[in-house]
Amino acid sequence: MRHVRAALARIAGLFAGPRADDDLRDELRAHLEMEIAENIRRGMHPDEARRQALLASGGLTQAAEAVRDQRGLPWVENVAADFRYALRALRRSPAFTTVVVITLALGIGANTAIFSVVRGVLLKPLPHRDGDRLLYLRQSTDGPGGANISFSVPEIRDLRNGVPSLPGIAEYSPWTLVLQGREGAVRINVGLVTGNYFEVMGLSPVLGRVTRPSDDGPGVPPVAVLTHEYWTKHFGGDSSIVGKQLTLDKKSVTVIGVLQPAPFFPDRVDALLNMVNSDHHLSATMVEGRTHRMTEVVARLAPGATVDQARTEVDAVYARMLREHREAYDPASHHRVAVIPFKEVMGERARLTLWLLMGAAAFVLIIAAANVANLTLMRGVRREHELVVRAALGAGVARLRRLLLAENLVLTLAGAVVGVLIAIGGVRLLISFAARYSPRANEIRLDAAVLAFALALSVALALLLSFAASLPKEGTFAGGISAGVRRLSGSLRKQRLQRALVVVQVAVSVVLLAGAGLLTRTMLRLSDVNTGLRTEELLTIQVPLLTPAELLFNPAADAGAKERYERMRREVAALPGVIEAGVGSPMPLRSTDVRFDVKAEGKAPAVGEALPHAELRTADPHFFRAAGIPLLKGRPFATTDGPTSGKVVIINETLAGELFPNEDPLGKRIAWTGDVLRFTPISGDWRTVVGVAATTRDGGLDAEPRPVVFMPFAQMLALGGGLVIRAESSAARLAPAATRIVRRIAPTAPVENVMTIAQFKDQSVAPRRLNATLVSSFGILAVVIAAVGIAGVLAFSVSARTNEIGIRMSLGADSGRVQRMILGEGGVLLAVGLVVGVAGAFFATRAIRGLLFGVEPHDPITLIGVALMMAAIGVGACWIPALRAARIDPAITMRAQ
Amino acid sequence: MAEKLEVKQGTLALMILKTLEGLGPLHGYGIARRIEETSKHRLTLNYGTLYPALLKLEQEGFVTAEWRQSENNRRAKFYALTAAGRKQLARETREWHQTADLIAAFLAPRREGP
Repeated sequence: MRHVRAALARIAGLFAGPRADDDLRDELRAHLEMEIAENIRRGMHPDEARRQALLASGGLTQAAEAVRDQRGLPWVENVAADFRYALRALRRSPAFTTVVVITLALGIGANTAIFSVVRGVLLKPLPHRDGDRLLYLRQSTDGPGGANISFSVPEIRDLRNGVPSLPGIAEYSPWTLVLQGREGAVRINVGLVTGNYFEVMGLSPVLGRVTRPSDDGPGVPPVAVLTHEYWTKHFGGDSSIVGKQLTLDKKSVTVIGVLQPAPFFPDRVDALLNMVNSDHHLSATMVEGRTHRMTEVVARLAPGATVDQARTEVDAVYARMLREHREAYDPASHHRVAVIPFKEVMGERARLTLWLLMGAAAFVLIIAAANVANLTLMRGVRREHELVVRAALGAGVARLRRLLLAENLVLTLAGAVVGVLIAIGGVRLLISFAARYSPRANEIRLDAAVLAFALALSVALALLLSFAASLPKEGTFAGGISAGVRRLSGSLRKQRLQRALVVVQVAVSVVLLAGAGLLTRTMLRLSDVNTGLRTEELLTIQVPLLTPAELLFNPAADAGAKERYERMRREVAALPGVIEAGVGSPMPLRSTDVRFDVKAEGKAPAVGEALPHAELRTADPHFFRAAGIPLLKGRPFATTDGPTSGKVVIINETLAGELFPNEDPLGKRIAWTGDVLRFTPISGDWRTVVGVAATTRDGGLDAEPRPVVFMPFAQMLALGGGLVIRAESSAARLAPAATRIVRRIAPTAPVENVMTIAQFKDQSVAPRRLNATLVSSFGILAVVIAAVGIAGVLAFSVSARTNEIGIRMSLGADSGRVQRMILGEGGVLLAVGLVVGVAGAFFATRAIRGLLFGVEPHDPITLIGVALMMAAIGVGACWIPALRAARIDPAITMRAQ
Repeated sequence: MAEKLEVKQGTLALMILKTLEGLGPLHGYGIARRIEETSKHRLTLNYGTLYPALLKLEQEGFVTAEWRQSENNRRAKFYALTAAGRKQLARETREWHQTADLIAAFLAPRREGP
C-alpha cells in the first residue's frame, strides 16, 4: 500500500510544474534564514552568520536537485532529456540521418518480411488442437516417384493393431471428383477420410458438424465437410450451406459442415468426404489389397508417449509386415517408413528455401549495420570536439554513452518503422511465393510476434552501434582541452575498425552475390533443359470425360468416351492454323501416378535389382506428331492398332536403355507385372514394342528422366485424356475456338489446364526464378550499400588527410599520384574483402546445394564473375573520393591552417 | 569533541517521525535542530539529506505538509504526523529495538564453555 502510494506520488511528481520548484526554493530559503537568525542571536556578525549557515546547508542547488530526484522518477526524466537531445542532434545532420534510416530500413524490412514467412510457415504452432502431438507417417521406396508411396488399408490396419503409442490413426485418401455446378463442371480435390479423422487431427467445424465413426462403412448417406478456404472462395461464406446438396461425380452429397481454417498436406483440398462417396474405396480391391497404396496416414500421440517411442513401435510393426508379406515388398526397392511430426512435414519443401532467404536477409542487415557503424564512427570523430566540451561541462563517460544510445535508438527505431512499412508491401508478394512451397502460406502475417522481432532487431542494433563507438577515456578530456585540440581520435584504432567493417561488407556482398549467381544460373539451366519435345506452338486441353468410378466399374462408358475424344480431335484438327491434333493422357511434361513394374520377355532381373517402374501413358496415332516428340526408332501407333488387333506399345529411350541395353528393342515383347495389377483393369499380357520415343522431362525439369510405356489410346481405358494441338503460329490464340468445340461435345466434363506447353514450362520454372530474383535483389542491395560504405570511408580518410595531401602536393606530388594513393588505399580493402568473400562463398554455397540444378556450389565461372563484378563496383566506389583528393588545392589547404 | 557522524540511511525517517511525535507539527529547520540537539551534535543534517527524506515520508503518506506562520512570524512549511505515520513509527521503533537487542547480544563478550 505504502509503496503503491509512493510510486503514484512519484509518477504524479513527473508532471509537477514550476510551482513545485518555487515552493521548494521558498522552503529552503526559510530554513536558511531561520538558521542565520539563530546564528545572529548567538552573537555572530551577520556576514559570518550567513557564511556559517550556507556552509552547514551543504549547498542549496544540490539539495534542490536531490529533492527533485525524490519527487519524480529521475531516470524517466533523464531518458526523456536524452531523447530530446538526440532528436535535436539528428535534425542538425539531415543527410546523415536520412542515409542511416534508409539503410537500416532496408535491412530491417527485409528481415522482418522474411521472418514473417519463416514464422508463418515453419515456426508458428499448428492451428490443430495440440498440433505438436500430431504425426505424419510416410512410406517410401528407392527410385523416381518413390519418395512418398502412401499406405494401403491392410498396412494401416496392421499399424492400428500394433502401435499402442498411437491410439488414433486416421486415413486420408486424396481423390478428385467432378462437381456439377451452374457454371459447368469442375474437378475438385477432396480427401476421403475415416470417421476418426477430425478427432485425430484436432480440427473442429465452424458450421454444422464434422464426420464421426458412424459415417464410416457402406450403407450410410454420403456427406461432405467443406474446407474453410473453399467455402469462402466458392460459396462466398454462405452460412446456409449446411444441409444443402452438391452433385459430385453425378451423385448427390449432403454438406454437413464447414471446417475451421487449417492447412492440408500433401495437397490443398476443397472438401473432406466419408468413404461411402467412392465405391472404389469400399471395394475389396481397396480394403484387401496390401499393395493398393493410396491412403495418407495421420496419427495422434497417446498422452505421455514420445515420438521416439512411436517410431520404435512403428518400426517393429513394419519389420513384421515385411517378413510376413514378402510378395508386397520387393527387397530391391528398399521399402521403409518414417514417423514425422506433422508441423515438420508441412515445412519440408519450404525449409531450405526459407533459411536461404533468411540468411540472405541477415547478410543484408550485417552489411547495413556495418555501414551505419561506419557512418556513426565518422560522425563521432567529427563530433569529438563537441563531446570534449560536453565532458568538460560535467557529462561523464556513462552519460555520453547514454546520449549515444539514445541517438542510435532514435535511428534504429525510425529504421524499424520504415522497415515494417517496406515489409508490409513485401509480405503480400512473399505469400504468393510461399504458397508454392507450403500449405501454410495463408498463415503468414505481420503479427505481434513479427513486430516484436523487428523491435528486438532495432534495439539490438542500437546497443551494438553504441558500444562499437569508442569514447575517450575518463580523464583524457582535460588534457585535450588544455592542449586546444579539436580532435581526440585515437585515429589509428578507429580507422582500423572502419577498415575492418569495409572488408566485412565486401566479403558478405561477395557471398550474397555468389548465391544469387548460382541461383540465376540454376534458373537459366532449367529453362535450357531439353524437354524432349517441341514446346513452341503446342496447346494442350485436359478433358477427363470419365470419372474414376466409371472407368473402373462401367466398361460400356469407355467406348462412348473414346468416340467423343476422336470427334473432338477431328474437329479441332480442322480448325484453321492447326497442323495436327492428337489425343493422349496425361499431357506432355505432366507427371502421372499411374506407374507399374515392367518386365521384358525372356529376361529375369539380376538378384537384388528392381524391375523398372514405368509410367503408363496413352497416345493415339496423331499424338507424337502433334506433341512433337521424336520417334527415335520404329513407327508411331496406327489406326490399325485397334482394340482387337495385336497388342503393341511404344517405349521411351530411358526404358529402352534399362530393359534392352545394347539391343534393338523393336519387335521385343514386354508386359506389365506386379501384385498391384490385380486391383486394376490392366492386363499383364505381352505387348510388342513397335517404336522408341525420345525421353521427355515429365517428372519436372530438374528430375531424373523416368521410364515410360505408351499404350495405344484404343487398346487402353480412356483415363483422363486430353488434346495436344500443334499450331502453325500463336497456339494460345486457338484456345477459345478449341475450348468451344470441347464444351459442345462434352458439356458435363471439366475442361482444365487450357495452356501452351511453353506456359506450363514457364510455370514450373517460376519458383526458381523467384528464388533467383529475391536473392539477386538482396545481393544488389548489399553491393549498393557496400559501395556506399567504401566510398564513405575513403572520403572520410581523404578529408581527415587534407593537410597531409596538401603538403605532399606542395612538395611536388602531382594529382595523379595522389589519386593513385587513395585508390591504393581502397584497393587493399577491396582485395582483402574479395579474398575473404570468395573463401566464404566457397563454404556458404554448399548449404544451398539442394536448391541448385546443373551447376556446382563452387562453380568457378560464377565465383570469378561475381568477384570481378564486385571488384569493378568497388573500384568505381573508390574513384569518387580519389578524384576529390586529386583536386585538392595545396594553396587553399595550407592557408586554411 | 565527539566525532561527527553522517546520518545512517533508514534511520533518519525514524528520527523525523519520533521528533514530530514528541513536538507536534514542525518545520524543516526545527526538525533538523531537534535531531542535532538530541544527538548532542554528533549528527549533522544538510538540506540535501533532510528534505528528500521529508518528501519521501510525505509521498508514503506518513506526514502531511502545510505552509503556516511560525512562532516568530515567519512563513514556513510545517510537517505533521498522520495516523499512518504514527503506526509506522510504532512498528519501526519495535523493529529497531529488536535489531538493537540482537546486535548487542552478538557483540557482547561471550564466555567460552567449560
